Amino acid sequence: MVVLSWLFVLMLVCFAVAPSLIAPRNPVALDILHRLQPPSFAHLFGTDEGGRDVFSRVVYGTRYSLGISAAIVLSAAVFGVVYGALSGVGPRWLDEILMRIVDIFFGFPALVLALAVAAALGRGLTSVAVALSLIWWPGIARLVRGEVQRIRERPHVEAARAIGVSPTSLIWRHILPFVMQEVNVRVTTDIGYALVAVTALSFLGLGAQSPTPEWGLLIRDSQDYFGSAWWYLVFPGVMIMATTAACSIIGDSLASHRESGVAP
Amino acid sequence: MLQIRDLSVSFGRRRAVDGVSFDVEEGEFFLVIGESGSGKSLTGGAILGLNPSGSTRTGSIRFKGREMLELPERELRHLRGDQIGIVYQNPLSAMNPVIRVGDQIAESIIVHGKGSGRAAATRAIELLERVHIPDPARVAQAFPHEISGGMRQRAMIAMALACGPSLLIADEPTTALDVTIKAQILELFAELRRERSLTIILITHDMGVVTQLADRVLVMYAGKVAEVGPVETIMNQPAHPYTKALMLSGAMSDAPFKSVLQVIPGSAPTLDARPLGCRFNPRCAYAQDDCRATMPSLRPIAGSLAACHHPLVGFRHSELVA
Repeated sequence: MVVLSWLFVLMLVCFAVAPSLIAPRNPVALDILHRLQPPSFAHLFGTDEGGRDVFSRVVYGTRYSLGISAAIVLSAAVFGVVYGALSGVGPRWLDEILMRIVDIFFGFPALVLALAVAAALGRGLTSVAVALSLIWWPGIARLVRGEVQRIRERPHVEAARAIGVSPTSLIWRHILPFVMQEVNVRVTTDIGYALVAVTALSFLGLGAQSPTPEWGLLIRDSQDYFGSAWWYLVFPGVMIMATTAACSIIGDSLASHRESGVAP
Repeated sequence: MLQIRDLSVSFGRRRAVDGVSFDVEEGEFFLVIGESGSGKSLTGGAILGLNPSGSTRTGSIRFKGREMLELPERELRHLRGDQIGIVYQNPLSAMNPVIRVGDQIAESIIVHGKGSGRAAATRAIELLERVHIPDPARVAQAFPHEISGGMRQRAMIAMALACGPSLLIADEPTTALDVTIKAQILELFAELRRERSLTIILITHDMGVVTQLADRVLVMYAGKVAEVGPVETIMNQPAHPYTKALMLSGAMSDAPFKSVLQVIPGSAPTLDARPLGCRFNPRCAYAQDDCRATMPSLRPIAGSLAACHHPLVGFRHSELVA
């Protein structure tokens, strides 16, 4: 399953990097004569209401859907690690302030907050990315803070202090490398969840706009034809589900491998 | 070289180390003995200014005339590793598992500005050789989990010695090792002390260590000093009943099979449930009413200092064996 997940993700990366080499057709070119065709060898995933090849649209859409999800989680991770580390090693009053701010974010229903922010910023993938990054970092910050506080009590950190290592080097060399194991797991799994959030916002009409072949938007557009053209809805949906599952599985496998061979 | 006066380490209102005073002379091999929870490791950590978060220190620790408790963190950092080295109980957890052994030793040299990059790496290999590690160049390239426990402890010692400190604190350095390796490590300490005129404070609960190497012994019980004195006095004429009990329970090397292993009844009091008066009184065979009422203070008794209302006089270790 893990190998399969890696292969699937590798395939998605190829889709995102060089869609033109993989997609058989132009994802936005209309071909009204072949509208809503069922899957065939000519159109693997069938065609949509404009006669566009759904497979090609899915391939091109990877760059938007998965690319934005990865960007959201990675930027949230960078900020969350710095924020969490500061909270974890800083004086108690700083920790209090920083964590209460995180609590405020946790107090809102995350997706509703993202919806509000994205709506305020105007439609488009950029506002979705900004809105989701904004709700994504607190979770990572809290994780990092907890991990930093756990790791810094380890004997090797005290031993490093005992040889006179400076606080900065203590964090970089003796604490963060261990925290990053947890962060890597979290980031991998979160990319899957971020994908669901990105496509959900697009589905609600806030994200990508037609004719951008974003997966959530594909599903939104397919609603009107669901009764007659199941493939239009099902294939993008399966892609979202499979990607999220693959991220979860890879995340789990990373989690079970962390710290192997190292005494607690 | 080191004067500790009325040192306390507290967690909130609970004093884990409670008013400990002692001196360590230049070049001395000083032993701190106590059961787990007696505050011996906290005392060792306090000398370096390293105590667990949430604890506070009061009293006075003077190292080479400088008051350690008043030094700012920056200055303490310059002393740690440079002037005072520390060796921990479990080298596997005390070493960073993802940094090569040689680089960890070099880190100390680099931190204190005593060489950089290649020079520090070369020095690290020399140090590994100094602590009798065979094939030091290979060990320097290894990660801590790739070498044996004895080697790791030697590497830790090399790390502690990297900048040529004058004081070495060893916190139960042999507990995680088997008997033969233990003897080798202790021999290494003795050798380093001879050759470098190193002052060593060895913290242990292992009575077997006492006889071989130490000059003076400090016995701690429940955060307090029970007795402190020259090793011969402590061994042969313990004044404090606790010291005597420790000697008896320690399965001494000269009486391994002759006597039944003696145990001290009961267990050491926890931080929250310390008895009134002498802290050893509930477990002491000689306890009387005043022991249950007032805490004894350290006073000279037959060659050592002991905190006991009714010290044992004329007690000889040889009687134990008979």
